[in-house]
Amino acid sequence: MDYFRGIWSARYFWLHLALSDLRSKWRRSFFGVAWSVIQPLGLTLLLSAVFGRIFKSPMGEYAPYILSGIVVWDFTIAISNNGSLAFVQADAYIKQCRHPLAIYTLRIVITNLIVAALASLPLYAWVLIVFPQHFGWPWIAALSIYPMMLLIGWPLATLLAYVATRFRDVPYALTLVLQAVWFVSPVYFEARIFRDAGLNFLVEGNPIYHVLQLVRAPLLEGHWPSTMDFTYSLGAACVMAALAWAVGRKAERRIVFYL
Amino acid sequence: MSAASIDLDGVHLHYSAAAYKEQSLKALLGRAFHRRPRAPVADIHALDGVTFNVKSGERLGLLGRNGAGKTTLLKTMAGLYPISAGRLQVNGHVRALFDLSLGFEPDATGRENILYRGLLLGQSPRFMRAHEAEIVEFADLGVFIDYPLKTYSAGMQVRLAFAISTSIPGEILLLDEVIAAGDMGFMVKARERIRHLIGKAELLVVASHDLVTLESLCTRVLWLDHGQVQYDGPVEEAIARYRQYVEGPGDASLAPVVSPT
Repeated sequence: MDYFRGIWSARYFWLHLALSDLRSKWRRSFFGVAWSVIQPLGLTLLLSAVFGRIFKSPMGEYAPYILSGIVVWDFTIAISNNGSLAFVQADAYIKQCRHPLAIYTLRIVITNLIVAALASLPLYAWVLIVFPQHFGWPWIAALSIYPMMLLIGWPLATLLAYVATRFRDVPYALTLVLQAVWFVSPVYFEARIFRDAGLNFLVEGNPIYHVLQLVRAPLLEGHWPSTMDFTYSLGAACVMAALAWAVGRKAERRIVFYL
Repeated sequence: MSAASIDLDGVHLHYSAAAYKEQSLKALLGRAFHRRPRAPVADIHALDGVTFNVKSGERLGLLGRNGAGKTTLLKTMAGLYPISAGRLQVNGHVRALFDLSLGFEPDATGRENILYRGLLLGQSPRFMRAHEAEIVEFADLGVFIDYPLKTYSAGMQVRLAFAISTSIPGEILLLDEVIAAGDMGFMVKARERIRHLIGKAELLVVASHDLVTLESLCTRVLWLDHGQVQYDGPVEEAIARYRQYVEGPGDASLAPVVSPT
């Protein structure tokens, strides 16, 4: 609890760090903030045009499917990669001032959460235009994806940061692992493709699928996400938090030696 | 007024060797093919049973050769390093001036950096805005305060960092060889400000090689060697003993005061 009090009392600092990350991200580019919207949207249009043909899915519903996948997946990649380097990047601060280390991963999660929120704007717009009948109360559940991304992403990034500061191989291994996870998850490929191939367990047992359902069920299907979706998402958050806590208990104070 | 104090009781600190050993595939293969054993890297025993206490109003100087453990001791007191044995108790808010170039954003102006560093040190934006004018005045950088920090000289950075860190509340001030930077005029001001802080019954611990600085700032000196306390007492006596030790004849092992820091 003291730990979280420390995080709270340093709130101005990590908020500042997160905002200055965003500023530097968009500095000196003509489109600036707009890139966070344009880039995933462009990729979506490209992918849905190609994959829509291959998998014979109508673009109207396949594009928002892909975009929701891109938003969540880009977030996952960003917080894993940047998160694992969070302490190394913040070494100047860590060596000078004693703050809970989790603020340096929180900074990265918040930055990317804002980027993800921006990137998902066209998703809502698209669905409102193409499937206006889907609009309704379940959309509240769709918004729960952002706090859920924070709850899962923050401990995940912190866990990776603890380990990666000690073993600098982690970022390399991570790329491989993430690619593997991407391949077996219904991120761009529709869930029915996995099901048709008899790989239902890759869907139903996959937290990534359930987290994505939080936003896909209301927007694309017009109904509430299932209890299973919430259970899996919260479960993933709890597992991550437990792991981060278990590793951090010993690692937190020793990190400074490895910087 | 304030009951700031630092208490150390048999404090040990080890830098774990794992952080310095080469743990790569290359090293592993190297070990497999070369029979010749490498020099083992042991844990560094940076603080070896350090016991002392400092009370409110005291000005403690840390003296010792490079690598004696002065900076480690300061950082331990600031809570940055985990001690491996002993007891460490620090009452009061600590503000620390260590490596002054750290934590500045080179692209931001001096004025913006005042805010940033203030936030780093745990202050609110409101507090920093309220104190900005005073900090700017003390740092006395003229028009440069609105220039990006990368245009600053080392001395100017020190002035700004010093001005910020000393205007943030906290009863305990830890300084690491920083006052020696900055020009003469600023050093006089810096000393004045430190005296002023001490006047408010606060606590200062400063590590320095500069005996003159220590003599003018401190009331008490702790002389460290190899992570152990060699002497703890009044400043004149400590400096006299240290001089004798360093310049003392016959002890060749002590002659070169060179080490990698």
